[in-house]
Amino acid sequence: MVNLTIDDKQITVPKNATIYDAAKAAGIKIPILCHDKKLHPFGGCRMCLVEVEQMKGRQIPACTTPVTEGMIVRTMTDEIVKARKMVLELLLLKHPIDCPVCDAAGDCDLQNLTYEYQVNVNRFQDEKFNHAIDYENPLIERDMNRCIHCGKCARICDEIVSYGAYTFISRGIEAKMGTEFDGPLNCEFCGSCVSVCPVGALLSRPFKFKARWWAMDKVKTVCSYCGTGCQLTLGVKDNKVLTTIYDENQGFHNGQLCTRGRWGYQFVNSDKRLTTPLVRKNDKLVEASWDEALALVAKRLGEEKAAGGKTVAGLVTPRLTSEELFLFGKLFKEGLGSDNIDHSAGYAHEALTKGAKESIGYTASPAVIADIRKTGLLLVVKSDAYETHPVIGFEINLGVKRQEVDLRIVSDKRGKLGKLPKAVNYVHKPGSELLLFKALARVIIDENLADAAAGAISGLDELKKSLAGCTPAEVAVACGVSADDITALARDYAKAEKALILLPLGLGYPGHGAELAQALLNLALLTGKIGKEGCGVLLMGEKNNSQGAADLGIYPTAGGKDAAAILDGCASGAIKTLFVAGENPVVSYPGRNRVEAALDKVEFLIVQDLFLTETAEKADVVLPVCSFAEKEGTFTSVGRAVQRVNRAIKPVGQARSDFDILSQLCGALGAARYTDPAAVFAEIAATVPAYKGLTLAGLGDAGAVYPVAGAPRFVPVAGATAAAEPGKFALVTGSALNHCGTLSRYGEGPMLVCPEGYLELGRDDAKALGISDGDQVAVKSATGEIRLKAKVGTRMPQGVVFAPYHFGEQSINSLSTGAPVTWVSIGK
Amino acid sequence: MGENAGIKILICQGTGGISAGAKKVEEEFVKIIAEKGVQATVGKRCDVIKTGCRGLCANDVLVDIVDPELGRVTYDFVKPEEVAQLVEEHIVNRTPLEKRKAKPYYNTFVDQQMRVVMTGCGQIDPDSLEAYLEEDGFKAIEKCVKSMKPAEVIEEVKKSGLRGRGGGGFPTGMKWSFCAASPGDKKYLICNADEGDPGAFMDRSILEGDPFCIIEGMMVAAYAIGCYYGYVYVRAEYPLAIQRLQHAIDICYEKGYLGKNIQGWGIDFDMRIKMGAGAFVCGEETALMASIEGERGMPRPRPPFPAVKGLWGKPTNINNVETFANVRHIINKGWEWYASLGTDTTKGTKIFAVTGKVKHTGLVEVPAGMSVREVIYNVCGGIANNRKFKAVQAGGPSGGCIPAEVLDTPVDYDSLIKAGAMMGSGGLVVMDETTCMVDVARFFLTFTRMESCGKCVPCRIGLKAMLDILESITQGRGKPEDIETLLEMGATIKKASLCGLGQTAPNPILSTVKYFRHEYEAHINEKRCPSNCCKELLLWQVVEDKCVKCGACLKACPSDAIVWEKGQVAYLDKEKCTKCKSCYDACRFMAIE
Repeated sequence: MVNLTIDDKQITVPKNATIYDAAKAAGIKIPILCHDKKLHPFGGCRMCLVEVEQMKGRQIPACTTPVTEGMIVRTMTDEIVKARKMVLELLLLKHPIDCPVCDAAGDCDLQNLTYEYQVNVNRFQDEKFNHAIDYENPLIERDMNRCIHCGKCARICDEIVSYGAYTFISRGIEAKMGTEFDGPLNCEFCGSCVSVCPVGALLSRPFKFKARWWAMDKVKTVCSYCGTGCQLTLGVKDNKVLTTIYDENQGFHNGQLCTRGRWGYQFVNSDKRLTTPLVRKNDKLVEASWDEALALVAKRLGEEKAAGGKTVAGLVTPRLTSEELFLFGKLFKEGLGSDNIDHSAGYAHEALTKGAKESIGYTASPAVIADIRKTGLLLVVKSDAYETHPVIGFEINLGVKRQEVDLRIVSDKRGKLGKLPKAVNYVHKPGSELLLFKALARVIIDENLADAAAGAISGLDELKKSLAGCTPAEVAVACGVSADDITALARDYAKAEKALILLPLGLGYPGHGAELAQALLNLALLTGKIGKEGCGVLLMGEKNNSQGAADLGIYPTAGGKDAAAILDGCASGAIKTLFVAGENPVVSYPGRNRVEAALDKVEFLIVQDLFLTETAEKADVVLPVCSFAEKEGTFTSVGRAVQRVNRAIKPVGQARSDFDILSQLCGALGAARYTDPAAVFAEIAATVPAYKGLTLAGLGDAGAVYPVAGAPRFVPVAGATAAAEPGKFALVTGSALNHCGTLSRYGEGPMLVCPEGYLELGRDDAKALGISDGDQVAVKSATGEIRLKAKVGTRMPQGVVFAPYHFGEQSINSLSTGAPVTWVSIGK
Repeated sequence: MGENAGIKILICQGTGGISAGAKKVEEEFVKIIAEKGVQATVGKRCDVIKTGCRGLCANDVLVDIVDPELGRVTYDFVKPEEVAQLVEEHIVNRTPLEKRKAKPYYNTFVDQQMRVVMTGCGQIDPDSLEAYLEEDGFKAIEKCVKSMKPAEVIEEVKKSGLRGRGGGGFPTGMKWSFCAASPGDKKYLICNADEGDPGAFMDRSILEGDPFCIIEGMMVAAYAIGCYYGYVYVRAEYPLAIQRLQHAIDICYEKGYLGKNIQGWGIDFDMRIKMGAGAFVCGEETALMASIEGERGMPRPRPPFPAVKGLWGKPTNINNVETFANVRHIINKGWEWYASLGTDTTKGTKIFAVTGKVKHTGLVEVPAGMSVREVIYNVCGGIANNRKFKAVQAGGPSGGCIPAEVLDTPVDYDSLIKAGAMMGSGGLVVMDETTCMVDVARFFLTFTRMESCGKCVPCRIGLKAMLDILESITQGRGKPEDIETLLEMGATIKKASLCGLGQTAPNPILSTVKYFRHEYEAHINEKRCPSNCCKELLLWQVVEDKCVKCGACLKACPSDAIVWEKGQVAYLDKEKCTKCKSCYDACRFMAIE
């Protein structure tokens, strides 16, 4: 700790603090324009200048200068105020005074400081800039006339996003923040630059002229897309969510958001929202009253209950709050006496609910997100971890660039993560990852690299037996990775002081099930890399509350049917009533034809959703529900953080929350009825061991991370690789960066950037097939044929193609059947 | 070569020499000596040797003929067609060609100097390792490795009093000791050869004339600090320097003076050249490092200082070319010898690039502490065209102007700063009575505002705002409060800017206001430029009693505004005059005003 004096106040701060940090800690405000706590010090704006007794004659930037013992700092001398005023005068010389039409007004650092320092005259005169405003992209307006050169956009894009869309170009007064060759902006559109811009140089186009900053209510909540659990501030006016607002003090991610979190909020107030219940009459869905619709549902469910509950089933989305999921479980397990409930097509949660459960005794990750930056070696399974959980991707970027984390990527394709400094890519044949990880375990055992404690864990002998035929030399060809690389990776992983494995899960990754999770957990257990800081395996659930759904046991736990069996049951007539809450199996579950046939066949289909989805169109009753912005409750993130969701607006139209609907149905079926999420949370805390001791009020803004404990054991896994079909391409599916599940299709932002599905293929393959970027191509598998736009790039290895799964038209599940790899032929 | 090697013909082939046609002259010498069988005739070997710059580039092509009997004779302005005669008279007939010899001022120019750093420049073939070895080349590093511990080398440099020649004047030994003390086994050494001051070319001349001495200086520093890798950051506008240095590096690798286990001494050192793309700010060490890393050359805040966290985040030591060039002499001759040169606070010699309205422009190396007056009048022959001295701008665009009153200021770091200028890299721009000091300030501001990297507000916008004010003054739109505004802004910009560029850029304004405030006032209050320089303020006319009827003005006028006939006083037609000033510059008799 270091002692110093600022404006006659004695302050003690850690020795790596800057003068700015120290002053802030002491409640002394030093003005800043270019400083951001997330970024490396820049020192460009010169607003934070202070005087330091020991460095007389100069003015010292507070934001870049570390404190030293005995430092005497003055922050508001006449000289300093004069210098700050001059800086503002100079900035205003070039910055247009168009505050009345600038969206940043009210939230503009320059405006606020000008006011604070009372700069009402300017001694200088000059012409303003006349840069053309960049309107070439749908999301970010770049008006470089307003730019004050704080460099934050370039720095955040480089340091955290690792994209590097911006750079200063030219020199002197002509210097400006430019893009590659000064062309229009074309990037990932995460909008990080917009969030940190201190003025109105970078603005959100969808928000343009929507509301003045001060006229909006700011509501803190949690993002409803992926499982990362980013906290979010919504800007609300007139019962509409108009934008997301940057708050650098929110969450582990310091307010940093990805493209969907920042721009994907429009689904909340989308005019496609369902506003009234619908009931099928004469084979047409027509508007109905809540009483009518609910009575119909209650009657049907009552009949099912009376019939013993064996012919009713439920599929629910893990996008609901934990309280709603709890009620859904309650409705089925207590109300209907049915164990036929599932979510995420079954396989997308299996890594947690079966894999982790069997290996370590609980259904959550033995690691948290913060471990990413504390580890020594980070092994990422699939480069897609960046696409499925982009803000976790930012953490990886930061870990590699700031903490020199040794990044290894085992993937069937290359990706953005592989371009990080010193990252090593192991590109394997699609579907062979399980074999590859078994080979790693084999090397660790053969070379005696296992941790001493591993011998005490049960199942080691079985594990060893299961690794027969898995030496690197034996699997090298099947995996497409050299034996030397496999051996080296195994050694590095085992010898690293700390090592963490990331495994993204989701509907697009049918191969990432229980076995893969267990193979990875075996590695961590073998080498003692579990239960310690910076170690473990992070099983990254796809949706905002995937972890909550696993925690609450929203899957068959007493011999009931899982998702696949439920759909089979619908097709065979064994299931007569299907209740779908928020899921859209027609688009997101494998085998579209099969799913559609099943849903067409089932006698009675109840769907509650925000939108009339492809699944809802087949329903007998459709119930309109509230979005996350209209309700209270909790989501549990990948990192086991239980966080509060807060209501920002009143329900849209006649929509009711899933909570209200499920609670009412519970009551109708004789199960306990709840009126308040807090009461449900209290019951969750009382019944789910991990949540013990948590209260809704106690979560506060920060949320709470629950602890895990269980008895580990080695679980041997089989490791068959998909047999290649000669002459065909291996189609692997997954997530596109701008989308998450099928919900983001209703967000304006993501759809502007990525409006439709595509087929990504390598340059050599494209050339051989005579396909150019943007061509429509026919993709045919054993189960179907669709047409997709070709995206030609350098990511895909020869013979492998990729397609995202989110889209309803020409949906990729027409081709896939739930195998990790689908073999397809491609034609024009 | 040895004593009886015979005749050496040294031809200056720095950038100056080559542009004056030195290559042709050399070819001609070689051709004629071969054709005429001169070697056989005189019974001696005749070696034609290209050398680096010897300072007086204005007189290129300079050729020294060194003969064991006739001694060294210098010829200047040598043209290829004169070579035959020179060979015939001087070499064959053994009678130096008196009328083609360099004038006595050349010898004055040379003799008044003290060449330490530039000993090799102009004497040895910069492409020849043998020539360098003959001049005790690589003896310094050998001495270090064999008889001194790294700490002793640093101590030696500390005691010598060597200060950084890049401008700041930070004690070199101290700098080395900081970097040596930084923890870490990977450290970098950088030689800053991004010489950007207008008119300064000492670093270029050293690199062109004696590249091996830089390599050796860096080796010594690397040994002392514990670096194994060095960069030389040279601006790409110095193709010849890059070519010669690269050649020297290649030879050193070939002959085992660079690489692993150098000469079997058990030390490793690798180095490479990094070309700069011409940004002035890249001479600033943090910007330079950013540039080497492939980033945009923009200064970074300090701390952390490069010695702690520099290139690629590792401890880094940066010195200027001239600093490294001093090192081998300090090691070879000992710190006592070096410390005996110069003044109390500035030891050794300093090279100056003297340009402007002085008779003999060029590169001069003098012991620190010589007065500015001596440099200008004794070495460089005083002011050209019989005009009166007004000021000398020292220290490049960030330096200041020294007026006649303080012309006896000794050239050392502290005295120059006291006089309101700075040593900088050693540029001296001499100005005479025709130079307007407001215009001088405007000129330097134009340069610095263009070269501002655009990062910090005071420099990026502040310099432009100051320049706008200066322009309005020189155009007759100045306001009385402008001077105060300039002073106030200048003071703030100096204190508030991020790097050395902004922190010194107001100096030309501040020093000219300090010494020549009356000129500013004349521009603002009387709308008059006392030096007849600012075009917008001038109405040109011929001063009839000064006109000697020579007609020089007529020839110079591009717009037919001068009426003149032989034997007549010239007349200037104000209607046609475009105020281009050509006649004024052409008149040697101050008859145009």
